[in-house]
Amino acid sequence: MPNVVVLDNGAGLVKAGIGGERDPIAVVPNCMARPLSSKKWLLADQLLSSTEDLTSATLRRPFDRGYLINPDLQSTLWSHIFTTLLKITPSQSSLLLTEPLFTLPSIQRSVDELVFEEFNFKSLFVSDCPSLAHLYEASRSPYGMVSKTQCSLVVDCGFSFTHAAPVFQNFTLNYGVKRLDLGGKALTNYLKELVSYRSVNVMDESFTMDDVKEKLCFVSLDVARDLQIARKKGKDNHFRCTYVLPDGITHTKGFVKDPDEANRYLSLGDGASVLSERKDDPNQLGVIEKPEDRRTVDLSKNEFSLTNERFIVPEMIFRPADLGMNQAGIAACILRAVNSCHPFLHPVLYKSIILTGGSTRFPQFAERLEKELRPLVPAKYPVNISSQEDPILGVWRGGSLLASSPDFDAMCVTKAEYEELGSARCRRRFLH
Amino acid sequence: MDEDGSSSIRRMSTRARKIAPKMAAALASSDNRTQAILARLDALENDNAAIETVQPMDDDDEASLDDDDQVYQKRQSKGTKRKTRQAKALEARRAPRTFLELLNEANLESLPSHVPSYLRAAVGPPSSTSRRHFCTVCGFTATYTCVQCGMRFCCIRCQTIHKDTRCLKFVA
Repeated sequence: MPNVVVLDNGAGLVKAGIGGERDPIAVVPNCMARPLSSKKWLLADQLLSSTEDLTSATLRRPFDRGYLINPDLQSTLWSHIFTTLLKITPSQSSLLLTEPLFTLPSIQRSVDELVFEEFNFKSLFVSDCPSLAHLYEASRSPYGMVSKTQCSLVVDCGFSFTHAAPVFQNFTLNYGVKRLDLGGKALTNYLKELVSYRSVNVMDESFTMDDVKEKLCFVSLDVARDLQIARKKGKDNHFRCTYVLPDGITHTKGFVKDPDEANRYLSLGDGASVLSERKDDPNQLGVIEKPEDRRTVDLSKNEFSLTNERFIVPEMIFRPADLGMNQAGIAACILRAVNSCHPFLHPVLYKSIILTGGSTRFPQFAERLEKELRPLVPAKYPVNISSQEDPILGVWRGGSLLASSPDFDAMCVTKAEYEELGSARCRRRFLH
Repeated sequence: MDEDGSSSIRRMSTRARKIAPKMAAALASSDNRTQAILARLDALENDNAAIETVQPMDDDDEASLDDDDQVYQKRQSKGTKRKTRQAKALEARRAPRTFLELLNEANLESLPSHVPSYLRAAVGPPSSTSRRHFCTVCGFTATYTCVQCGMRFCCIRCQTIHKDTRCLKFVA
């Protein structure tokens, strides 16, 4: 039985599993961390256990700015994942690995060394993320737009950067790819900076702040209006939300104090229901004693309130210029990616925009993107943006499909070929 | 003029200078504010807040100014094996390099202009230069600029807080 390991090796999360299955076996952070109290480094899945106290943990990641720079660290993490989580023997299996677009040749060489010389995999296939995301979307609806035209625009908003990549006939058109140097990591760090200045110092709490970002941040549909609302006091303010930091005794993970409070912004959708919202929650009575203002938040309780930070942070993907970056936002990124392709492809690409990557999970991301993109695209072209059902796993599932296809073995580079030809010539087979 | 002519003959240090392009741009600009902005953007890619500043300290043992420290270190170095230059060089080679160093090494500028590469895939500057400004203290729309450091604030109360806490922190 052919045994293919599918490894979506992201800078933030490693998604690893066996080809042909629907879900990966392991989705673990691609880093190691050492808590302040111990001397032992915790690897990948050990970071997810609820008993570990990760306060002020020191982090080490094999990736820098989206590319693999530390193969030694990556090999430690991989061998941990292969032996304890996947329970496979590399010498008897093939590997399907994803690699970021435009990986430098020197990095490709070190990855090949890692795969063939350190782990002794039987064969290797390297793919890029956009084509796999496209493959998965095409397989989901065999009669849909994406699979009929074999063409889509994949917007991958990941951990280190955002790519808008046109895909045609399952190949990423690399001359059309545009990159925005903002991703989940920068957003978390930005949130850290804001919270640390305004309320509690959380500069060392990467994991906690990731959680805050995932639970509380959302994309605003109308920034000017939302800023006005965020300024209000008391209950008129639909955005204020309190997050309780871990105290290390009763709970080691932080949590949102009042989940209802966190979702109140959703009632603002059309702007009309602002007033009706106030009467219909009697359960708010218990929360009345809570501090009404940011300045009165009790710091000894280790909690902080967020208001405008909740939408200002993801806002940076749409307007990096606000941060002082000299880069265009995600909408312009898509526009430029499409414009660099053949004009015949333009209408099809606008009609099949696929959002993937963890940072597209912010609520209302797709709506806002459509709102930004529509005025930029010529009126004769319809714009259709679809989010993947699970943006984190979309690429992995595409890889799983590819690995189970009958001609997968023919596309791989075997260990013997690698030893004969070397890294650079083997890489030409993957056509990127 | 003579200085320039002789410098080509003079023996130069063979040490490769490692400066990230962004830092080079920042250093080239005389404007402190641009430097501050670039440094802040660079900080957004850090993994750990504190470690990055601590790490450079431990590779030069002799840099300490305190006399007591030096005595202590000398005593300590007798016990442990002193690092030779070669050992240090080996260690440096094993240490992971940052992506920007690898990028400089790959020399992508030399590729012909039609070849897509990491550098050409960047989106490029925004089409309009308009920029919204948010108060650095409270986060709302900011109307005013600090005359000393150029950061934004929205009202007099935020100005006071700004002056008391982080004015000139990123510039100076």
